Amino acid sequence: MEALLGRGAVLSDPDELLVYESDGLTLFRALADFVVFPTSAEHVSALVKLARREGIPFVARGAGTGLSGGCLPAEGGLVISLMRMNRVLEVDYENQVAVVEPGLVNLHLSWAVGPRGFYYAPDPSSQQACTIGGNIANNSGGPHTLKYGVTTNHVLGLEVVMPDGELLWLGGKTRDPQGYDLVGLFVGSEGTFGIATKIAVRILRKPQAVKTVLAVFGCVEAASEAVSGIIGRGLIPAAMEMIDQLTIEAVEDAFGCGYPRDAAAALLIELDGLAAGMEAQVERVIQACRDCGAREVRAARDEAERQLLWKGRKSAFGAFGRVSPAYMVMDGVIPRTKLPYVLGRVNEIARAHGLRVGNVFHAGDGNLHPNILYDPRKPGEEARVVAAGGEILKVCAEVGGSISGEHGIGLEKMDYMPLIFSEADLACMHRVKDAFNPEGLCNPGKIFPNNKACVEVGPAYRQHPIEERGLAQRF
Amino acid sequence: MIDKLRSLVGDPHVLTGIECSPYVLEGRAPEAVVFPGSKEEVAAVLALAAEQRIPVMPWGGGTRLGIGMPPSRVGIVLGLRRLNRILEHEPGDLTATVETGITLGALQAELGKRGQWLSLDPPGADRSTLGGILAGDASGPRRHLYGTCRDLLIGLAVVTAEGSVVRGGGKVVKNVAGYDLPKLFVGSFGTLGVLVEATVRLRPVPDEDRLVAASFHRLKDAGMAARAVVGSDLIPSALELLDGGALRALGLDGGAGLLVGFDGVREQVEWQCAEIGRLLAPLGMTASAALDGAERDARWRSLGDLSRRGTEDVAAVMRWGVLPTQLAELMEQGATIAQKNGLRAALTAHAGVGIATAALFGDGAGADAVVATLAEWRTVVNGAGGHAAVERAPLAVKERVSVWDEPGAAVRIMKAIKERLDPGGILNPGRFVGGI
Repeated sequence: MEALLGRGAVLSDPDELLVYESDGLTLFRALADFVVFPTSAEHVSALVKLARREGIPFVARGAGTGLSGGCLPAEGGLVISLMRMNRVLEVDYENQVAVVEPGLVNLHLSWAVGPRGFYYAPDPSSQQACTIGGNIANNSGGPHTLKYGVTTNHVLGLEVVMPDGELLWLGGKTRDPQGYDLVGLFVGSEGTFGIATKIAVRILRKPQAVKTVLAVFGCVEAASEAVSGIIGRGLIPAAMEMIDQLTIEAVEDAFGCGYPRDAAAALLIELDGLAAGMEAQVERVIQACRDCGAREVRAARDEAERQLLWKGRKSAFGAFGRVSPAYMVMDGVIPRTKLPYVLGRVNEIARAHGLRVGNVFHAGDGNLHPNILYDPRKPGEEARVVAAGGEILKVCAEVGGSISGEHGIGLEKMDYMPLIFSEADLACMHRVKDAFNPEGLCNPGKIFPNNKACVEVGPAYRQHPIEERGLAQRF
Repeated sequence: MIDKLRSLVGDPHVLTGIECSPYVLEGRAPEAVVFPGSKEEVAAVLALAAEQRIPVMPWGGGTRLGIGMPPSRVGIVLGLRRLNRILEHEPGDLTATVETGITLGALQAELGKRGQWLSLDPPGADRSTLGGILAGDASGPRRHLYGTCRDLLIGLAVVTAEGSVVRGGGKVVKNVAGYDLPKLFVGSFGTLGVLVEATVRLRPVPDEDRLVAASFHRLKDAGMAARAVVGSDLIPSALELLDGGALRALGLDGGAGLLVGFDGVREQVEWQCAEIGRLLAPLGMTASAALDGAERDARWRSLGDLSRRGTEDVAAVMRWGVLPTQLAELMEQGATIAQKNGLRAALTAHAGVGIATAALFGDGAGADAVVATLAEWRTVVNGAGGHAAVERAPLAVKERVSVWDEPGAAVRIMKAIKERLDPGGILNPGRFVGGI
């Protein structure tokens, strides 16, 4: 591999490999035998062929911001980092298509096309760090998916290294390619169908006008009803995000974004599009919120205030660090009309396990993100978090929802798949996987219920070597 | 086999012999036509077909079955018209779950009562079923803003070739659990399974909905105008480019035209109708009119009917996928090629996404001229990096021109999927891309 990639592009020292043992979900850990850094599709193809010849599993990795353990080397082997393949290869503004490498950071694409008035619509909260390739694997969403759709709605074509090493294109820059929609299948396949090395995505023109409204509620139920009320008035906002009281307090402690601390829930509603008619739509939104009992509704006066409100929303996960040493974020989806019931159940479940939960989520899509707060140093607490999380997913499934809206199944939720899929459903998916990845070396041990993975699960807390030697102490 | 089918779905729901004549496809009569009344009955029919190795052709409204290579044998036609119920419609969720045998027209009428619609407008909504639209990935002008079946289908139930019911996706608008099976089945033309239920995302019916028809002397100008619209702040819901032949076929004057749809709240629509006039006036626009109500609906309908079965003198239809910026020039070349071969042509395109429909007219058009034109069109479109498929042509033409392009390397994955999902090869065999 060093002959292929050059020195410095292959890690095998256990201390260095440690950096890659987790993704954003630190509950799961697995150590690779090697981490490699290709710089071209040909490199990736050669690495995959080599891994296949040696019979060792391989998995692609982007920025490692995933939240389901999807890029962990569950059965050891090779981690193929795509972080050195991060170029924007081509931008065709007239046809509104960009071709990029998988390691490109999501936000960097919008930066690249921004000066010409364009942007890339899918905007996961981690967009400052996460990569387009990782977004492809997880079919990532974000706050603005309510109006603009998720990653799959924006991908036209993919150059892929297949699990046997062959390099080929699925789809392309033109629409409606002939044959089965392999692009649609590949997006969201969590790295089990191959490794994307070039990605053709749609870029959109920035809207003429954007308006952001903050609505403050005395109870979560009222805020939930406002979500349906807005939709019921024939409006599809670009985004509709809910933040509950615990989260508001954390955000205000950390950043002071102007959310009222005593509010039970706040809705951040964004409308975008033409300037004409925008005021009328904002009025409709404000009226819908008032009708549902909002105690305060206001539109951001200027771009600075709008950015501040969004900073509060997008930084919420980080802000939990203020109130808890660790948290686990759930990702269930429910029909939005079931929001009041399910949020009530989430709180009951957390209480029953003696845990606190902060909710910050995509209310318009019904995509919940209960963040269960805990302290990994307290014995048994992590197990209670996992149990509570399972119960929450069960509730989502019971009301006709899904166990993941944007984070993926990965290692974390594979055992919950039977909550929403029958054996026949899973068998059909298995057959599709077998068509892409018949030898099973490409990201094994994920998505499907199994017990073969050699993954360490449990408290992420370990003593650092200098603690062991008594040279330092955590407090 | 006929007796077994009767026992599975009931005597009145099985057609045989001369009764099958409305279901003759490309000159081949089916051995039986069955109309199951539930997905369980669909499963039973498929299990029987698998056991006896009889090919099965799922049949919705019968509007898009001509797409594909001619079948070598039509075994059982599986009519889905009895599966036509709306199972769930929760307006607050903007989703509906329906059986796939419902026609799009009937579905829209029901959804409309509650102020919503499925934002798909392929031609022939009165006859086309949702299942057929999904299986054939049919789309219309409003795909410009609202996308296609792949963007709107969020969950499905299919009966597999072995007769089991498989669900993919779900009932919520955002869902990444498991592989995205709905994407696989959209546009699979009945080769992987029989779609029996679908959950789709809906949109509110807009307050206002208008169509601006603009005329130009030259297609080149109309093409530039379409590019100007795409590059402006306007957010049209539809952007159709028509050549002179298409205008004439619609009974309209002019060298080329644009049909632009605007919908939304009143202020948005009114501003856009005015703004597009300002934008296009310096770009060679010779006349424009804003249509509303019945006039608007009639214009959209006639555009959709241009290349459909209803137009009896259509000799062949080809569908191209190219880059939007290539459209006008390729359409001009296409018209020239048809003319050279002595044929009348009408070319229209979804100008924002680069999908063109090229129709050849003439009851008496000789097969040689049609074959030559289609072959030349394909050469030109493929040469420009696009794809071209014959959507409609007489058997004599299809025997000489491939319906589909020469497939790329990815066809091996497609074949592998087909082999695994339909190991007996009973679902619409031999008609799809790469001989699938």
